[in-house]
Amino acid sequence: MTQTNPASERAAETHDIVGSGHTFGSVTDKISSIVQTTRTPKAWYVGFTISFAFLMLLMVSVAWLFVRGIGIWGINIPVGWGVDIVNFVWWIGIGHAGTLISAILLLMRQQWRTSINRFAEAMTLFAVSCAGLYPILHLGRPEYFYWLLPYPSTMGIWPQFRSPLMWDVFAVSTYATVSALFWFVGLIPDFATLRDRATSTTGQVIYGILAMGWRGSARHWRRYEQAYLLLAALATPLVVSVHTIVSFDFAVSVIPGWHTTIFPPYFVAGAIFAGFAMVLTIMLPLRAAYGLEDFVTLRHIRNMCYVLLASGLIVAYGYLMEVFFAWYSGNHYEAHVILNRFYGPYAWLYWALILTNIVIPQLLWFSRVRQNLLVVWLVAMSVNIGMWLERFVIIVISLHQDFLPSSWGMYTPTFWDWSTFFGTIGLFCSLLFLFLRFLPMISIFEMRELVHHVEDEAH
Amino acid sequence: MIPHDLDTTLRRLQRRALLVGCAALACCLAAAAAAPGQFFRSYLVGFVYCAGFPLGALAVLMVHHLVGGAWGHLTRRFLEASTRTLPVLTLLFMPVAIGTRWLYPWTDAAAVGSDALLRHKALWLNFPFFIGRAAFYFAVWWTLAWVLNRWSARQDRTGDPALLDRFASLSAAGLVVFALTGSFAAFDWLMSTEPKWFSTIYGAMVAMGWMLAALAFTVIVAHYLSDREPVRSAADEQSFNDLGNLMLAFLMLWTYMALSQFLLIWSANLPEEIEWYLLRFSGSWLAVAISLPVFHYLVPFLALLSRPLKRCAPALVKVAGLLLVMRLVDNYWLIAPVYAHGGVHAHWMDALCPIGICGLWLAAFCWQLRQMPLIPLHDQEPETAQHEVPAHG
Repeated sequence: MTQTNPASERAAETHDIVGSGHTFGSVTDKISSIVQTTRTPKAWYVGFTISFAFLMLLMVSVAWLFVRGIGIWGINIPVGWGVDIVNFVWWIGIGHAGTLISAILLLMRQQWRTSINRFAEAMTLFAVSCAGLYPILHLGRPEYFYWLLPYPSTMGIWPQFRSPLMWDVFAVSTYATVSALFWFVGLIPDFATLRDRATSTTGQVIYGILAMGWRGSARHWRRYEQAYLLLAALATPLVVSVHTIVSFDFAVSVIPGWHTTIFPPYFVAGAIFAGFAMVLTIMLPLRAAYGLEDFVTLRHIRNMCYVLLASGLIVAYGYLMEVFFAWYSGNHYEAHVILNRFYGPYAWLYWALILTNIVIPQLLWFSRVRQNLLVVWLVAMSVNIGMWLERFVIIVISLHQDFLPSSWGMYTPTFWDWSTFFGTIGLFCSLLFLFLRFLPMISIFEMRELVHHVEDEAH
Repeated sequence: MIPHDLDTTLRRLQRRALLVGCAALACCLAAAAAAPGQFFRSYLVGFVYCAGFPLGALAVLMVHHLVGGAWGHLTRRFLEASTRTLPVLTLLFMPVAIGTRWLYPWTDAAAVGSDALLRHKALWLNFPFFIGRAAFYFAVWWTLAWVLNRWSARQDRTGDPALLDRFASLSAAGLVVFALTGSFAAFDWLMSTEPKWFSTIYGAMVAMGWMLAALAFTVIVAHYLSDREPVRSAADEQSFNDLGNLMLAFLMLWTYMALSQFLLIWSANLPEEIEWYLLRFSGSWLAVAISLPVFHYLVPFLALLSRPLKRCAPALVKVAGLLLVMRLVDNYWLIAPVYAHGGVHAHWMDALCPIGICGLWLAAFCWQLRQMPLIPLHDQEPETAQHEVPAHG
């Protein structure tokens, strides 16, 4: 009878965050070779071309929007917030995983984060860029977006400080700034590595400028560690604040289905859920394409599955509370919202949401599922869809039938709604492909640190 | 099971707690004949406060089994002993069950009959179902506590490493179950004192308060026992630092939920919801309300940011003590205004009932604490914990 010893497996797993036999040199070679090659893989060109085509679709959609106004979208009264706001919340949620992985897991001393944080942070930045577009486009007259800022206007216009929509402006822009800083600071030592290894003058100059004179002296490192930790501590509350405020955008109103106190934690959990799903969606193919199995190991994937499962369950708790209180409150309108979700004209979207967001992710309870990367990828994909549906259900179903039956209506997204959505996916993927080609997608110096620790433990 | 001198100390504490608890409850019971309403109201505050220790401990214990960490090595047995007091908590629930008539307006048939909303809710808020649900919650909690403790005892005997994975699996499922039962217990026992009011975050907020109370209590126990073996060698600075961080996290989560509820209800200002805050801000209740953000959040929050403080157990214990006091204040503020509109009407039983209940509970805790070694004998955690990088934090 062969008996496996879970304790030794567990002990072995702690080493599993990096493949065995790696040295400082091999880590550096492996990661920087993806960037510093003269032969760009054909698949990269194919992927980038497709993404870029979608980016162009976005440009066309936005240009047409500026010409004709937001009437080209399907929104109207009573559904004044449609797919555009759904997309805003969806993208901003996706962004949160990056900060969570890079900042919170750093503060919690979770070593395994090292090989995925750079990539996840990049994803954050690109997702926030996509998200940030929507509220501006939605303004109708986007050239006046600066009216949202409290500046000494001679017209006496002053933003409403009690409105979370206005807090959003600060929260999202602060978040974008800190995320960009955090990402850039994290890249500095790697820029220096790339500068030193660059063979072309262009590469040396560009990476040299970006490295900001990094020499890797003890003093540099000391300052660097302090700055990095401080930024992590700054970024952590931002993760929570941004999505809390996004949830407030809805919950401070009196719309049934929007106004409920569970929204803040449930939105934050939803953001983490969506974000980890997106990290897995992109990471799994990349890992296979670039042969990164030694750096993104099964343990990473398992841990991400755990986070996915846990955050998904919190979201499910939110759904349950909504349904229970729709009945318990005895409030006619609250009850109508839930019944309308269950049986109304958009009911199929609600049930699709339950299937993709709650039922399918439960597969992750099984370790055999977690080890089957194709299934994990499919589950992550299901969550991506589910979280989009969730926002659609919350926004559209609550709006299209509210208090007065005489003002009920239906909402159908138009071609331009979809083209803008797929256009931002194009923007996201284009940026991602450029990132993969020109910057190290895994933090080289942190991986070296990790190899060092693992070696220490082995002795 | 535990060193003789420690056993004597705990035994003495147990006897004293029992004595104080019985005396305090006896006084309250004697007065109950004259003022049953006041007795049950004071009792409910004490019960809900005390329930936080075993229930919060169950949740924190399961969190530890899931995420690991050296802090759990130090505190696991305290948490486990706490969960083993759940049968005592069930006994302590009896007066609440008896006193529903004085506590919950939905038990008044006349009031329910004349109110459409209460009639609608009678399907959920009725005495047999209320008791049935409580029995179900306790059964679930007992089962979880019983299995976790049994496995823990087996781990001491055999050191079977396979148990680690079983702990984790059970705790994952257990936390899901706990989140649901805990929330609904909060709706039943606390929220239904105002049967027309509702808030979807309420269950999570109350459960987080329980976890915070249990953790603060555990910190105090860990420090109290840390001057002697075997706790001394496990009670290092790093463990207290981790416990301090965890306390900070729970504190922030509780505040986050309480603030979210307040902001959303204040902002929407709907008659059916705002009533809850108007009642709790009226008259001298406002002072109690203001004390919460100050002493339940700001002061402990600022204190727990300091790393030297977290590494210094006596200082950390002071923060934990403050939090334990504020948990009681919070529970009082949640429940008592329902029965005392317009301002605080403090009654001596408001103090004596919680003392009595907590005294009895503490005696049970000490008794259970003596039943198993104070530090797990074959815990794998310290070894695995060492693999983490000690760089930041």
